[in-house]
Formats: sequence, structure tokens, C-alpha cells
Amino acid sequence: MRQTTWILSVALIGVGVVIAQAPPDQPGRAKGAPRNPAQSPASQPRPQTATSQAYSIEQIKAGELRFSSQCGFCHGRDAAGGESGPDLTRSALVAEDIRGDKIGPVVRKGVPEKGMPGFDLSDMDMGAIVAFIHDQKTKFDALGGGRRSVDPSDLATGDAAAGRRYFNGAGGCSGCHSATGDLAGITSRYQGLKLLQRMLYPSGQPAPARPKVTLTLASGQTIVAELASEDEFSISVLDSSGARQTYEKGAVRFKIDNPMSAHFDQLGKYTDTEMHNVYAYLETLK
Amino acid sequence: MFHEKFDMKDTLLLGVGMGIALAAVAAAQSADPKNLLHPPPDSWLTYHGDYSGRRHSSLAAITPENVDKLRQIWRFQTGQTQAIKSSPILVDGVLYITAPDHLWAIDARTAKELWHYQHPANNAFHIGHRGAAVYKDTVYLTTPDCHLIALDRKKGTVKWNIVIADSSKGYWSTNAPLVVGNHVLVGVSGDFDNLPGQLKSIDAVTGETQWIFYSTPPPGVAEPKSGGATGGQMWTTGTYDPDLNLVYLGTGNPTPVLNGDARPGDNPWTCSIVALNPDTGKLVWGFQVSPHDTHDWDANEVPVLVNADFNGQPRKLVMQASRNGYFFVLDRTNGKNLLTRPFATVNWAKGIDSEGRPIPDPAKLPSRSGVLIAPNESGATNYRSPSFDPRTGLLIVNAQDGYGIYFFKPEHGAYGWAGADYGVAGRAFLRAIDYKTGRIVWNHPIGDGAGAAGVLTTQTGLTFSGDITGNVMALRTSDGATLWHAPIGRVGNGPITYELDGQQYLVVGGGSSLYAFAVPKGDPL
Repeated sequence: MRQTTWILSVALIGVGVVIAQAPPDQPGRAKGAPRNPAQSPASQPRPQTATSQAYSIEQIKAGELRFSSQCGFCHGRDAAGGESGPDLTRSALVAEDIRGDKIGPVVRKGVPEKGMPGFDLSDMDMGAIVAFIHDQKTKFDALGGGRRSVDPSDLATGDAAAGRRYFNGAGGCSGCHSATGDLAGITSRYQGLKLLQRMLYPSGQPAPARPKVTLTLASGQTIVAELASEDEFSISVLDSSGARQTYEKGAVRFKIDNPMSAHFDQLGKYTDTEMHNVYAYLETLK
Repeated sequence: MFHEKFDMKDTLLLGVGMGIALAAVAAAQSADPKNLLHPPPDSWLTYHGDYSGRRHSSLAAITPENVDKLRQIWRFQTGQTQAIKSSPILVDGVLYITAPDHLWAIDARTAKELWHYQHPANNAFHIGHRGAAVYKDTVYLTTPDCHLIALDRKKGTVKWNIVIADSSKGYWSTNAPLVVGNHVLVGVSGDFDNLPGQLKSIDAVTGETQWIFYSTPPPGVAEPKSGGATGGQMWTTGTYDPDLNLVYLGTGNPTPVLNGDARPGDNPWTCSIVALNPDTGKLVWGFQVSPHDTHDWDANEVPVLVNADFNGQPRKLVMQASRNGYFFVLDRTNGKNLLTRPFATVNWAKGIDSEGRPIPDPAKLPSRSGVLIAPNESGATNYRSPSFDPRTGLLIVNAQDGYGIYFFKPEHGAYGWAGADYGVAGRAFLRAIDYKTGRIVWNHPIGDGAGAAGVLTTQTGLTFSGDITGNVMALRTSDGATLWHAPIGRVGNGPITYELDGQQYLVVGGGSSLYAFAVPKGDPL
């Protein structure tokens, strides 16, 4: 019954992961396979806490109260992930955190591009929340498993050869992508659930290429630039210096070439079998 | 009936003074529930404005011709990090606006704070709040930790404070109660735990519980029909037909949420529209819009009540654009289905059964390797109010064409969420549905993702709502063309409108602030 406002759960899976250290070796993965910071935490074992920390029971209890009311809806009351927020017990940022030195700034600033607002908390409340998160991580580490997990082996049901045919044929993927070009070695960058999500609709970091805009100004001048943002009334592009230039839509003519449109349209075409087949094919692009 | 329609253009200072005096005299009557049957123009007495849920106003001062002259009159900042998701209540010139643990009474002409009630910090979910309710001289607030608090409307002092559910078990409340007679109907939320769905009727004066309706069996009660499901929470505000004396409510998803194996069968009355007798709490009829839901598609969207022709016959209708992507029209006297048709991208049903209910496709149940589902979890629409425009016969709804991936494996268990799902992508629209056919008459894109704004229509042919990027907008109801917009931050509630001192106000939340707009009347003093 959650009333999700943003379709950002894809991006949210890895809030802390960009600055993550590589996870330890894990079962079910080829020996010598590269370790990957961009991997979904839900598809791999928890990173180990780098520096063990002790917190008082009072602080943890206070943190539980603050966490469940402020953070729980997205991250789960137990910090093990909600629908729109990642499992913090699997977060590499949490694993690397020492007494809030990494968690604190993220909570205060928020991650607006991923839908997380900043929280204006006192040092005492922040300390309590940090204590609770570390305590939950310790508890979940001891339990093992992961009730909301999606493991890479779960996704391995497709036929790679059929996926390749679809990629090059009916799916039309090869119109924009190439196994030896942009997708070469894709499995060293994404695995498991993260790879599937990136395949279906690229988002998160690194950010997919911005759509290209061709603008014709009233003067007749034509500008080709990257799209920064757009709504019904105005369009903003990045000029050659990277600065944002905004135009009222009524004052210009414009055409947007958005490669994401093809990904969105494809979502309405895939059968589940085709989706898993293409995933299996991408898995072969070592 | 309270009246305050004198023109203050020329006697502004005097007029304000008179307004206050009149408000004091008329206060005891204006929030009487009988006024809900014919709400005065200087009021917005319940979450929907009236009992029908149409969110349609007969005020006519703002028109397609002058809507571009709307100017901001005031802004009220809640100071909260969370956006306003609640609908204000207006009575006696005072607006009541809420956020989790907070209720403010502000002057509807100036936004000056009259009083502010803050509930103690608590560890229940603070996901949002839908609004307050009023009965005579009392205003009611539900809280995240499931208290229902009755406050004196004038002073903000607590009259009584009761617990409506055990938040330590996982219940929380965001509910804007529905007042019918002396019944305050309050619902709760809670699908991270396996909890029965409950709606309580509380005596408006004494705070005593009058009855409890359970949408799924209460603890310890064997009821084979439910298939072992819990859930079906009633967290949005219902609608009411005084002639039939029936309250209509949408019920939420079953629990465990994604694990359907643990709860075989249709799981009534989850994901349903139910009709209850408000005096007894007895179910008169129920209609399941999503039998055996496994995608978190609460049917809590507003059951909109319309009296209109259907297939050439005058009917008492209830209609819902539901989170599962289907638009339903029912005969509200008996719950019989008249129309079922998708209004957004859907791929989870393999047909419609003889009773008008979508038939879940077994191939689209959450699975170990994942299935691609339309809509995604946030739904083809969500709790934000649609609006029904009687002139055009259009239900205008904040809609999304979206996709998600859904997983379930036995290791996920049978408690709470019991599975995993991830939104993939979505496109948001304001979408106009012809109630007679379900046909989409127009479709106005508002951005990527899912929209957050409710909808208001007026009899001058205007539709007010918001887009994804932070504009409040006025569209022409007949064709969806944009006539006005203002960047105020993301609109997270349903706009409301009322008339004070002969001036029509539009009041709408943008981010964590509430804004009032009006068309200035002539020259200032």
C-alpha cells in the first residue's frame, strides 16, 4: 500500500554503492571474475563492517525510534530495504562508515536525484540513527540469507543464443548497441539484478547519455546540444561550456532525440522469456 | 446555513472585522454534518469537499477566460521536509491542514497561523498524512502511531485522545476521517506485517467505539473464504450516499503482499470496493477489483459517486479508476458491474470474468526469475483524488503507464512483503476517461515517473492539477489544453476551491507549502 511518488527504486538500489569497496569473494561467481562496485547489494553477500563499533543500548533504542519514523518507509523498519530504498544492511557505505562519518553527510544532504530528501537532524538524533543501522547490520550479518534478495542464480533462466537472435533481430537492440562496442565487457560493470535493471531501462550511475536536442531559435540559428531538463513550458540544454541555457518552448522550435524512448517502448514488447533470454545473452559478454 | 458572500472590495477593513464576527456567530452550525449534504460555497468540509468524491465545484468566478490572471494571494509554509499530501478543510474562514503529527489552523484569508497542534514523537511510519475532519466545534487528527485526537476547533486544545490500533504491531495511520452523522470513520495502514484490515466508527462526541468493520478476518477468527489472507486496509477517505445510507470505501492489498501461494483464492475483501451501513458497520455488498492481488495494487482510490445515465437508464453509479489499471463502473445500489476497461497500460490479466473482475494471469505472478509487469507497484494511479466533471462526463485521473519487475521465491517467506519488486520506468499523464465507455478522450503528458497531484474540476470547464516538474496547472476540461500554470514546487495533494468575500480561491500544496491563488478583483484600495 505504499504510495510511491517516484519511479526511482532502480536507482535507489545502490545509494551507497558508488563509493563501495569490492565485496568479498562469493559463492556462485566465477573465480577471478572482476569485483564490481556497481553491483546490486541485493544480489550479493553483505560487505563486512570495516571497523567494528560499539553503541549503547539506549542509543540504539533511540535510533530505532527515529529510524522507523523517518527512514523506515523507504528503507524498511529493520533497515533491510523497503520498496523504494535500498537494504542498508547490505550497503557498502554503511560497511565503511565509522560513527556516521559517511552515513551522516548522505542523510543530511539527501540524494535528490534518487528521490531521497535531506534530513535536518540534530547530532544526537543522527548518532542514534547511525547506531541503529550498525546494530541492524550486525544482526543481519549473523542471520545470513536475505529475505528480499534477488540472487544472480535466480535470474539465470534464459537462453543466450535465443537472446542473441532477439538482440540482433526482433528486439532491435543492435540498432543502437553492439556486443563488441558499448556492451563489450558489460558483465564486468553490472551483474545480477543490477544488470537486468540496466538492460530494461538504464538509470543510476554512471548516468546514461543525455538526449540530444536540436533547437532552432527565432533568429534562425540552429543549436545542437544535450538536454538538461524539460517540462511542458521550457527546455534547458547544456551549452558547449556545460552551462545550462533555458528557452521558453513557445519561442523556439526543437526536436529531442531520446534513446530512452526505445527502451520504454521495448518494455511493452518483451515477453518475460525474451527478457530473460536477452539478459542471458548479455551475461555472455564478459 | 453560513453565508459570508458580501463584497468587501470597497470596505476591506470593515469587511474583515465583520467576517470574524459572523464566523463567531455561525461557527456552531457550519461544521454540522448535515451541511455536508449541500456544502456552502465558503467551505470545504471534508477531504473530498463533499460526500460524492467528485471533487467538482460549482464556483464560477475563475473561468477559462480569466484563469491566466490568477495571482498568488498567500503562502503557508509547514516547515516540514515532507511535501503536503493532505487536503485542507475549510470551515468558518479557517483552514485546517495536516502533516504527520501536525495540525495547523490558519486564517483562510491571510494564512496567519491561529494555532498549531503537535503530537509527541513516535516510531510509527511517517509516510504522509491525508487531512483532518470536522464535526461541529471539533476537528479530528489521526497520527502515525494510530491515535485519533479530537481538538477544539477554536483553540486547538485536546478534548480526547484515543488509540485506534496498536502501532507496535505495525499499524500506522495517515487517514483523513469521514464524518457521517455522529460517526467518525477512521482507517489505518500496515502491510509490512500480516494484519487484518480494520475500519472503526468512533462516536464524534464521546470517542467511544461504535463498531469495527474487518475487511479480512480479525485475529483468532476462522474464515475460510479469505484464504488465510490478512490486509485490506482502508487508509483513504470514503464517500457516502445519504439516500441509500451507504458508505463506499476502497480496501488495500492483501498480505503477505507478493506471496500469493500463502493465501489461495480471491482473498475477499482485499483490493475491493465495499459498501457499508454507517450505523452498523455491516457489509451490504463488495466488489473485488483485483481478486488475489500479488502486486500491491490497493484499491484505495476514491469510489466516486455519480447519478447519471448509463446505457440510456438513469443510474446511481460508483466509479473507480483503480491502481491496477482498470476503470470500473458499478451500480452502487447493489455492486453489480456495468463496465470494466483498462485506462492505462496493463499486462497482468488474461481477461474479464462474468462479474466484471479482471482475471489474474498465472504467468504474471511474481516469480523467482522475475516477471515484467504493467503497471508497476506505484500503480496506474494511486490515492490522489480524481475529479468527475458532470458536463462532459469525464473522470479526470492522474495516470501512469509504467512497468516493474516482481520477484517471489519461497525463501522470501510468508510474512509482510514476502518478495521483492522494483519499478523500472513510467510515464505520467492527466487522463480523461468517458464514464459511459471507458474510452480515453484526452491524454495530457506531465512527465516521467508517476504523478503526485490530485485533480479538481469546476463548472466553468476548468481542471486543476500539477505536473511532475513542479507546476500547478489549469487545463480546459473538454480537451486537456493548458490554460495557466505556476511553478510552486511539486503538487502533492488535490487542489481545493472555495469562495470568501465574493472571491474564488484556489488552494493547493506545492512542496511543503500551501498556496492560495485568486483572480484579483478590480483595483486595490
